[in-house]
Amino acid sequence: MKQLSNTQRLWFYRVVALTVTAVLVHLLAVWAAPRLIMEIVMHGPMARTMNMQNQAAFPPPVTASSRTVVMPSPDLLYSVCAFDVSQGPVRITANPGLTSYWSIALYANSSDNFYVVNDRKAAGKPVDLWLVSEGANRTDHAAPAGSEVVVAPTKTGFLLMRILTGDYDVEKAIVEPARRTLACTKI
Amino acid sequence: MVQKSHSSKLKRWAIGLGLYLGAVALGLGSAWWVLKKAPWLNTTLQVGSWRSNLLAGSPDADMYTRASVAVNALLALGRDETMYFVAATDETGRPLRSACSYRIEGVPPTARWWSITAYADDMFLFDAPNRHYRLNGSTAKLDSQGRFSLTTGPSPVDNTHWLPTPGARGMVLTLRLYNPEPTLQASPASLVAPSIKRLGDCA
Repeated sequence: MKQLSNTQRLWFYRVVALTVTAVLVHLLAVWAAPRLIMEIVMHGPMARTMNMQNQAAFPPPVTASSRTVVMPSPDLLYSVCAFDVSQGPVRITANPGLTSYWSIALYANSSDNFYVVNDRKAAGKPVDLWLVSEGANRTDHAAPAGSEVVVAPTKTGFLLMRILTGDYDVEKAIVEPARRTLACTKI
Repeated sequence: MVQKSHSSKLKRWAIGLGLYLGAVALGLGSAWWVLKKAPWLNTTLQVGSWRSNLLAGSPDADMYTRASVAVNALLALGRDETMYFVAATDETGRPLRSACSYRIEGVPPTARWWSITAYADDMFLFDAPNRHYRLNGSTAKLDSQGRFSLTTGPSPVDNTHWLPTPGARGMVLTLRLYNPEPTLQASPASLVAPSIKRLGDCA
């Protein structure tokens, strides 16, 4: 078998190293993309302006100038909260009292939607969630009566409340008070 | 002689570094391409021009689906809550362009609420002067056969509900179904997909 020259050996190792590097960088970028995007949504400049860390914030209705999160739905009025359960539970309450569609969805910092409740599931009752981290101790799990314990897969994450509004200008007097029943409180 | 050896070593390092940076760029570029330009890699269902990934928003989503949803439709809900269909081409397969006019027609999908929204290729809304960003279940007027119709384009075509798409760029249409009926959830391919026809030449 013919021996490789030093130059050929060098290029062989280079090609192997570069292929491995390109594949690893590709996989890392795909893995990191949702986490980086969520980090910007939860703690970026817009999040800081809205002051939404463990408290509810109420962005204006969606228009062409809404450019924080891709594909905003003009059908929906959004309310948000960036939660952090690393120091203890976060209590989420809401009582929109609307018969049209609304939902409260919780997302892990990987962007996975791990919990959702909508008006049909709530069946007219107020929402009362006691959000704890996976590693939380028993004391943290001791939720007040009537509060549903929800375990967050990651210590930080994002709450998105959606309220359907066919026409915001017409329905403003109903949907604005409804969404402002949302509270997101660190215990 | 020593100088020549030193220069050759330097050259070897420079080539190595250049190739290494090239490999990093290749890794990043291929990730971006897969997430932004290769929608078929992130599609589990296609009905007519409309594509959907039924794992969107689900903790069961694979790494590529999760990343693609984060880049193109962050904070999506699971399919029992909302189903999302995105069209980037007309029914003949031509990419949608904002400078062209299209007619979208169909029957209301079997869901509690539905809407069709036009987005520019950056996935944000067009700056529509009339603030008509979408047609939905409450604004759609059905004809005698129970069909809705809308047009998109730089200017209105007729009296049909018009979604302005100013500028000359790529665009997509998104069909959202909130609380789809159980039969549609069980068999998403049974969706009667709205048609997307290009009208005349592009502006």
